[in-house]
Amino acid sequence: MGPENEVARLRRGDMDALSALISRYQNRLYRYLLRLVREPAEAEDLFQQTWLRVVEKIRGFDPNRNFDAWLFTVARNLAIDRLRRIQPESLDEPVSEDFPGGTAMDRLTSKEPAALDRVLERERSSRLAVALVDLSVPFREVLTLRFEEEMKLEEIAEVLGAPLSTVKSRLRRSLDQLRRRLETRYPGENWQ
Amino acid sequence: MNDHVAIRRMLALAAAGALEPNEERLVAAHIQSCAGCAAELEEWQLLTGGLRRLPTPQPPASLVERARARAEARLAEEAEYRWHRGVMIFLVFFAWALTLMSWPLVRLVSGGLLGLLDPRLNQAWIGFAAFTTFVWLGGGAAAVLLSLRQRRERSLA
Repeated sequence: MGPENEVARLRRGDMDALSALISRYQNRLYRYLLRLVREPAEAEDLFQQTWLRVVEKIRGFDPNRNFDAWLFTVARNLAIDRLRRIQPESLDEPVSEDFPGGTAMDRLTSKEPAALDRVLERERSSRLAVALVDLSVPFREVLTLRFEEEMKLEEIAEVLGAPLSTVKSRLRRSLDQLRRRLETRYPGENWQ
Repeated sequence: MNDHVAIRRMLALAAAGALEPNEERLVAAHIQSCAGCAAELEEWQLLTGGLRRLPTPQPPASLVERARARAEARLAEEAEYRWHRGVMIFLVFFAWALTLMSWPLVRLVSGGLLGLLDPRLNQAWIGFAAFTTFVWLGGGAAAVLLSLRQRRERSLA
């Protein structure tokens, strides 16, 4: 079931609807913000700011529009403002490739095959996540919207305020860059 | 650019599910006869599959509660603000209507008695109306400035 009912109730000032919407979107919104700004503290602040902005602007929201796209646009505008205030070079800073929870070798010494599979899966995911956050903001943004938020291209275009052709071209270049980075860092490995 | 090269450029978008139906058909037909492109598409699919399976970072529970509490407080503020604004608009219109109606009403009720008391009073309503307009415009401007200041303070908070 979509959020239309909750959105309509929130527009009438219903606090329960606000609570329901926050619960519904908390993981997706936080993940999106974290992918954009990379710093958990920044993402947490933006998460709160986004909901405040939603409350302020919800009466101006056109119910015929897609709420997901509108919400992510609100979050995006706040995040972009924040990123503009941060020194631009900090955005391109390479992130650490260390993985939490001990060394890879420590974790690979497990004797259980299932545990080994899980470790390998986690390793691949970690490498992919590291390579993803290392991309520039527009690239990691379009990838997270497409593959993590599972948005349609039209919805992504609405969030980015860009034509569909731009979204497609950015998506292709993002994948291209991500793959090149993975191949450079981890030659001969797959990232399934 | 031949078909093979053109199709190869589409493979990343094919794995992302971002092709038009006719492009998808072209790719599907091509990979039947081109092992290189089929393998390349598989590589892209591994990558996009990996992206889809990335673990979702969870927001801390305390963050969600804080966001909820702040948003609810703001929602209450918004409702209060709208109520005050509605009341103020009503009072302004009511006061204006009362002001504009009061003088002809006084004249009607007095039956010209006031005019007998002071013959200049019949012309004085123009001055009275001008004075009232000036006072109300001043009050209106003050209300607008106050509202703008409040809004600025709220945005800084």
